[in-house]
Amino acid sequence: MQVTFNVSRSAAAGNGAAGAAVSTYEVELAEAATVLDGLLKIRDEQDGSLAFRSSCDRGLCGGCAMRINKKGRLACVLPVRSISKNNIVNVEPVRCAPVAQDVRLDMERFHWRKMKKVQPWLSPRQTPSREHLLRDEELEETRAAMRCNNCGLCDEGCTVIVVDSEFLGPAALTKGFRFASDPRDGARLQRLRQLSEPGGVWDCTHCFEANGHCPQNIAPTDRIFQMRDEAILNGIKSGITNPKVARHYDSFAKSVRQSGWLDETRLAIESEGYGNLKGLLKLLPTAIKAMKRGKAPLPYLHAKRPGAEHITRIFEKAEEK
Amino acid sequence: MQYAFYPGCVSKGGCPELYPAALKVCERLGIDLVEMTDVGCTGAGVLPAEISDPINARTFAQAEAQGLPIMTICSTCTGVMTQANARLQEERYREAINAEHLAEEGLRYRGATKVKHLLWVLFEDYGLEKLKEHLTTSLEGLRVAPFYGCYIRRPSDLITKDFKGRKEYLDELIEALGAEVTEYSGKGKCCGFPILTSNERNSLAMAGNHTHEAKSKGADCMVTPCPLCHLNLDGNQDRAGAQKGVEIDLPVLHLPQLLGLAMGFSPDELQLQRHLVDTRPLREKMSVLA
Repeated sequence: MQVTFNVSRSAAAGNGAAGAAVSTYEVELAEAATVLDGLLKIRDEQDGSLAFRSSCDRGLCGGCAMRINKKGRLACVLPVRSISKNNIVNVEPVRCAPVAQDVRLDMERFHWRKMKKVQPWLSPRQTPSREHLLRDEELEETRAAMRCNNCGLCDEGCTVIVVDSEFLGPAALTKGFRFASDPRDGARLQRLRQLSEPGGVWDCTHCFEANGHCPQNIAPTDRIFQMRDEAILNGIKSGITNPKVARHYDSFAKSVRQSGWLDETRLAIESEGYGNLKGLLKLLPTAIKAMKRGKAPLPYLHAKRPGAEHITRIFEKAEEK
Repeated sequence: MQYAFYPGCVSKGGCPELYPAALKVCERLGIDLVEMTDVGCTGAGVLPAEISDPINARTFAQAEAQGLPIMTICSTCTGVMTQANARLQEERYREAINAEHLAEEGLRYRGATKVKHLLWVLFEDYGLEKLKEHLTTSLEGLRVAPFYGCYIRRPSDLITKDFKGRKEYLDELIEALGAEVTEYSGKGKCCGFPILTSNERNSLAMAGNHTHEAKSKGADCMVTPCPLCHLNLDGNQDRAGAQKGVEIDLPVLHLPQLLGLAMGFSPDELQLQRHLVDTRPLREKMSVLA
């Protein structure tokens, strides 16, 4: 079959493909050919300067992650037929990722620098004298995260990285989970504390985009939720430098615990902190506007829902554990 | 057509205009709502599952005892409940929660309750053709930017895998009301509200990007099925614009408000005057169109 490839070209280490030129190639491929088959053929026969990464050709290494027909995918396991009825394939670099050249990413800046921040190695409690024996189920969730092939496609979908390239992102946070959840690791709480600092788990919007972008079905958003829950249950509700996050949780939990539902105005005040005059003053203009329009219910005068005592019991039992 | 109605916290708190608008619209449509009062907050993705799953199981058990599906008017409530309900399908987990938390007040959740947002009810249970019979005011000429946000479309394995149409319901509804859909890239992204406390700068950047983009593409207003999105997109729009260095001024309507306008309710009846972004330009445009 005859296939047209439109490939984004970017010579220098720019940021993404904005404004990048596009090269068009016509290539003859077998019916079952993948997008990577096409790119390799173009590079071998038509344009040796075309830059992209690929290695395993089995969907295992994650190297050939790119944006194909407007979606982040692995080129080596993607049959052309499955994405294009008219045999046109548009190839761009992964969104929000620094480009080394064409569709080859600068993986150090995009990926590895963040991976290093989560200390991606096991820190055993003590030097083991023999192998650490585990039951299969003990490692079940960790093993799911171990499937990550560092393709970075979850970061491509991340709604936070779009506005803040320093956010650790679902890929690095999933790597953090891989070790924080490992029963052999001795630094679990230390990891949760570190991942609670700005740029970590509390800066995730839990928008679930990452789940839909992960080709390995690791569900990175669920892993981030697990770490947040685990942190809270261990009394780690924020990092050292973002205490507002802990105040927000405490206020949220307190009002639901007491009344069954959320006292939103109280939440806004308590999240800033009673002693944080600057923060409270910042709220004022919006608060005054909202109050004038009847959109800011008076805090603390928050009626209990019927059956609130049952909600309180649920909190008490969770705390007893 | 009857539902156990779960209004959520925000429709009676920070967005008090949403609750009466939803009641008015549902009453006119003949959707019978039995409000759940003895229920707790879903946890909104803030409370850990160890606490929020029992709270939600309690809600589900009550609806199940009434033999009714739950209807919400908040995407976040819908999403958090849907995720909890998926976990509660695992019998051992569910029965452990029943035994530990629900049994003492004589409740038991058997896993049968369905949770639906009003938007899903309109398409999946009520029907667009029947809905059209209640439309009295064409919104033709009005350009509306749909803002789905996160939980009404994701996670896809729970939300859209068996209901592919859910990805486009808001677009289809806008068109059914006679208005024109404004296309823009941010419609399915996060509004930024969940990180307003932890990272205000990023949160406002998201709200600013989406509202500014929609406005730039010609929208007269935005519509959202989620009051938490509304809190950021409307309530913080001026701050988001200031951070971005632009004035945006894009009214953001709740889903029942837009629907209510097409059903002949006045902007005052739907309490559009309560929004923080001035809705008068929208009202003027509507009166011109009328």
